[in-house]
Amino acid sequence: MSLPLQDRAQDGSSDGLVRLTLAGLVDTPSAIPDATKKLIPERQLNPGEQYRFHFDMNKCIGCRSCEIACNEQNGNPTEIRWRRIGEIEGGTYPDTSRHYLSMGCNHCLDAECVKGCPVEAYTKDPVTGIVLHSADACIGCQYCVWNCPYSVPQFNVERGVVGKCDMCHGRLAEGLEPACVNACPEAAIEIEIVDMLEWRSDYALAESPGMPAAGHTISTTRITLPPRTSTKLERVDTGRIQLEHAHWSLVFMTTLIQAAAGSLCIALIFRAAEPTLLLALFVLTALALNISVFHLGRPAYAWRALKMWRRSWLSREVLFFAFFFSSLTLLTACSYAVVLPPSWLIRLHATAIEPFQNLSSTVLAIEALGVITAVLGICGIVASAFIYLVPARPSWNMLHTPVDFLLSAALIGTVVPSLIISKDHAAASGEIIFRLCLLAASLWIVNQSVRFIRLLRSGIFEHRASAALLNLPRQRSALIASFLLAAAVPLFDWGGGTAFACAAAFGAVLLARYLFFVSVVPLNMALTFTRGGAH
Amino acid sequence: MWTRIKRALGIDTRQDKYTFAHDPVAGHVASARVAEKWIKTTCGYCSVGCGMLVGVKDGKAVTVRGNPAHPVNLGKLCPKGLSEHHILDAPGRAQQPLLRKNGVLQPVSWDEALEAMIENVGQIQMKYGRDALGVIGTGQLVTEEFYTLGKLVQLGFRTRNFDGNTTLCMASAVSGYKLSFGSDGPPGSYVDMETADVILLIGANIADNHPILCQRLERNRQRGSERSPATTVIVADPRVTKTAMMADIHLPVKPRSDIALLNGIAHVLIQENLIDRAYIHDHTTGFESFSQHVAEFTPRRVAAITGLAEETILRVARLYGNAKAAFIGWTMGVNHSTQGAVTVAAINNLALITGNIGRTGAAPFSITGQCNAMGTREAGFTSSLPGYRKFDSPADRAELAKIWNVDVTTIPTARGLAYPDIVEGAVSGKIKALWFIATNPAVSFPNYKVLEQALTSVDFLVVQDGFHPTPTSDFAHLVLPAAIWGEKEGTYTNSERRVSKANPLVAPPGEARTDFNIFLALAAKLGVSQELFPGWTSTHDAFREWQRVSAGRLCDYSQFTWQQIEDNGGMQWGGERLYADGVFPTGSGRAVLHSVPWLPFVEQPDDEYNLILNTGRTVEHWHTRTKTSQVEMLESMVPMAWLEMNPADAATMQLNPHDRVSIISRRSTVRNVELRITGIVAPGQVFMPFHFSETNSNLVTLGAFDPISREPNFKQCAVRVERFIKPLI
Repeated sequence: MSLPLQDRAQDGSSDGLVRLTLAGLVDTPSAIPDATKKLIPERQLNPGEQYRFHFDMNKCIGCRSCEIACNEQNGNPTEIRWRRIGEIEGGTYPDTSRHYLSMGCNHCLDAECVKGCPVEAYTKDPVTGIVLHSADACIGCQYCVWNCPYSVPQFNVERGVVGKCDMCHGRLAEGLEPACVNACPEAAIEIEIVDMLEWRSDYALAESPGMPAAGHTISTTRITLPPRTSTKLERVDTGRIQLEHAHWSLVFMTTLIQAAAGSLCIALIFRAAEPTLLLALFVLTALALNISVFHLGRPAYAWRALKMWRRSWLSREVLFFAFFFSSLTLLTACSYAVVLPPSWLIRLHATAIEPFQNLSSTVLAIEALGVITAVLGICGIVASAFIYLVPARPSWNMLHTPVDFLLSAALIGTVVPSLIISKDHAAASGEIIFRLCLLAASLWIVNQSVRFIRLLRSGIFEHRASAALLNLPRQRSALIASFLLAAAVPLFDWGGGTAFACAAAFGAVLLARYLFFVSVVPLNMALTFTRGGAH
Repeated sequence: MWTRIKRALGIDTRQDKYTFAHDPVAGHVASARVAEKWIKTTCGYCSVGCGMLVGVKDGKAVTVRGNPAHPVNLGKLCPKGLSEHHILDAPGRAQQPLLRKNGVLQPVSWDEALEAMIENVGQIQMKYGRDALGVIGTGQLVTEEFYTLGKLVQLGFRTRNFDGNTTLCMASAVSGYKLSFGSDGPPGSYVDMETADVILLIGANIADNHPILCQRLERNRQRGSERSPATTVIVADPRVTKTAMMADIHLPVKPRSDIALLNGIAHVLIQENLIDRAYIHDHTTGFESFSQHVAEFTPRRVAAITGLAEETILRVARLYGNAKAAFIGWTMGVNHSTQGAVTVAAINNLALITGNIGRTGAAPFSITGQCNAMGTREAGFTSSLPGYRKFDSPADRAELAKIWNVDVTTIPTARGLAYPDIVEGAVSGKIKALWFIATNPAVSFPNYKVLEQALTSVDFLVVQDGFHPTPTSDFAHLVLPAAIWGEKEGTYTNSERRVSKANPLVAPPGEARTDFNIFLALAAKLGVSQELFPGWTSTHDAFREWQRVSAGRLCDYSQFTWQQIEDNGGMQWGGERLYADGVFPTGSGRAVLHSVPWLPFVEQPDDEYNLILNTGRTVEHWHTRTKTSQVEMLESMVPMAWLEMNPADAATMQLNPHDRVSIISRRSTVRNVELRITGIVAPGQVFMPFHFSETNSNLVTLGAFDPISREPNFKQCAVRVERFIKPLI
């Protein structure tokens, strides 16, 4: 990026350049401004340096001009705020303290949004260090929304893509200060230069009450705190925690694909992978993958999600499930082929299939293909779980998440094959499968219960808040229902009601997954008492 | 269809809506905000009077920027100002005249509307006398309009019962200035906030209500750091407001103990000889009785009344007394009181006995409310005659009659009813027709039930406003759609007497007309055009006459033209500060020291109503929210009222944060308000913002008024708080 301000600073013609953005329209008044402190850097960035925000909490009066200026600058709708104001408060009357936070993007050194993005929509600008997001590249998967500990990236429903503060990159390129810096009546926000290596070794000045710990992503925003530190400043928005988006497409996608992979594994173990079952699993997987696409803001570009498999768990999930699906397709086709009666398409059969149908190596190959498919499925489930193991979403970031995904696969997997496979097969392995089912259901319930208790008793606010959300009347009912359904699975299975067992298993997992999504409380900066009106 | 599919698939991301472009003036910005031309104007919200540049494109205001060359705000704006262009095409704008027929408001032509008004008002005045018409004007009009309105009401409709909504706002400051100095007129300037070395703010939460003034304190601090002693900002407020948190010393006084504090400071100043005896001798009267009066206000007694420590009172008094230049600013905490006028006099006393007036950095200074509250005070016709002239002065009346070329007997010899008395008159049947212009009493007037009775009692209610429906226009028999800020031309006067130009940016929506045009049309129908407004076509004609009327007065507009006002970023009448020569317009030339008694506020808490309710504002909203609720960003930032309560009280009442509560006074109940438990308010006190008609704090506030200024006591009334229980139906 070219930095004309720096060029002009170097040739000495930068006087009055910074504050007076309305160049040419008004004469520079002679008497003003007195406070001519430049609010954006005037010198070139040296290698190893980047731009960052500095926020002076002592100067901020909480007027929210920056928020308005930001939305006006970027043409964003009301519900999207690339810059947000927070309140923190403490002390006892009359020694009460209330301060404000005004935050855009922190342009972190180790930005999780950059790392997690499956399509490389994020780049850390090599010149300025600004974390830039490309709406063109973005597919609207919202993984960055989950990854950012400050809840900075926000999904624009109207556009189907995410957007975020870019430090008014375009204005900086013109030698102008960002809109928020320009609007602040108190000069509480400025852009400054930071030495990245130095900052990495000591980023204590990024920490502030009301802000998530800076260490995880190494936020570059420097915050000047009020001098009096005896008062503990706390968030005032914690009573207004909201249910998160349910992501129904993901609720179904994860459940169905776990069902498919789990069922395949069980069927293979018990040598019950009959073509009909495989066909059913194939349909289930196809359905899951199709549904998942509609989680995206831009379903047409779903294929791009494969791009960043080297670093993004989302890409890896997509990759594994894509392989799983291909492999399952092949497996299903082959298993049908080997049992095809000779009458069918005689010539093709005679030349292409018959010679292989009875070869032991063919059987072996199909079995191997089955194992490969199952492994790919499990890898997909694990990759899928890793997507949710993000520090920015504490109630997801627990061992319970991968355990739940695998146990859910097992729970459904132990009942689905019995529904479809032939009676002989089912009878042969019925007793063991029932025991497995009982085990899966028990472990599933234990895992869910332990998770809930840990959330409830956690020292982490976001955990407790998740537990509180699970304790809301409707959510609590759903939670209890999911436990009851899970408990009912082996009962039905034992009683021979396989169809009921399947329904109960799907019901339990779907409910639990719904709760998993809605009850997560993301890390966030402190917001205002009204949370900007987000109800 | 194809577009919808493309959007659903994400092939179309509305990129066109989210593009950026280069504005030659404002730089890189969202394309929709790129202007074709820029128009200078002045903000239409509060009285700080910020200079703006509004970008206009295709007949639409697309962006607002602070004018960097304007001396008031140096390019900065508050969030309301920055989003002000959004109010112009807001969905809630009144677009056509509406006349109530068979109980329903129905669109009518302007001609029919004005005809109906003249006919109904005429009949009422014929039957009940001319004073049966009550008119409430507003600080939202440009001075030229307010001047025209005053003439139309007093000399055209010939009713004396004319007041402004400024009586809910600044009347106490006006009365207090008159008491001490013989005339209205804030003596200081904003620049004094930059140069004073002690700044005492009493009942002024500028961080929420006048945020752009805060930069003056910041600049003062920057200068002060090189100076010794450094600047001290002292804020007296029962609530730990945003402004109190900016202070070096916060005085958490008990509600309405400010007079005791001021008298107590005067006591210490006199005791410790920190007064300017020469100034007192040369320029004031009443010092003897004043010093005797404040002798009773010993630090000990004042400590008991205010709840402050004696040392704090001594410290503040010494800081004030030793200051080279001391500034006292106040706002609604002082004005909204049954003792508002005399509290202002008590503030003025401090300035006078220390000679802290008429010098750089030294002034008692009222920070006004509305954008043109000051202009309405100057143009008068309400509590005084235009140009700060007095109704009871034959010379003043004769002078005006000569300028206007009217019979002197047509000019009233005394002011008519003040705002609360007009409302009272409507209830008692004395006032039969009401005309509200750009004000929304259904939210802003205290003790709503009485106001409601007034609105429903009158035979004819005219509401002239830029928005419809409003809680007030719902009651109207006739709604006249008016142009608002950005659609008309004229001047606003800000708190520091700076006359600034407001310019039209766009045309009014639908059939809405400027208030000025409405007044002229009514004058024509009344048949008084020729006499009162000969040849007038624009507000500039009104300005030219106003220049002649104000010539030689304290507020002398003859010194500058519209063009000069615009070119200079506003002109201050009276210069940077008044009374530099120590001569006051009192007749004797001396300012008057008043012995102001301290009285407890009217409705004290008791067992049944155990809490003191304080009301106020928040930065995101303006007054009754007719404008700011239409700006999506502002509305979404603070969409509802809340009640602040101290944790100690909440614990006693077993209330939790976000509980829904009702606030109950002897008068009525505000239901279903969200509870905010916070140490911002003192135990025994609760606070709520008054902006919200949905949860109108004025249902419970007290209809008690200052005997001098007639300003309501919005700030204290006794209430109790109960958990809100949702009714079954």
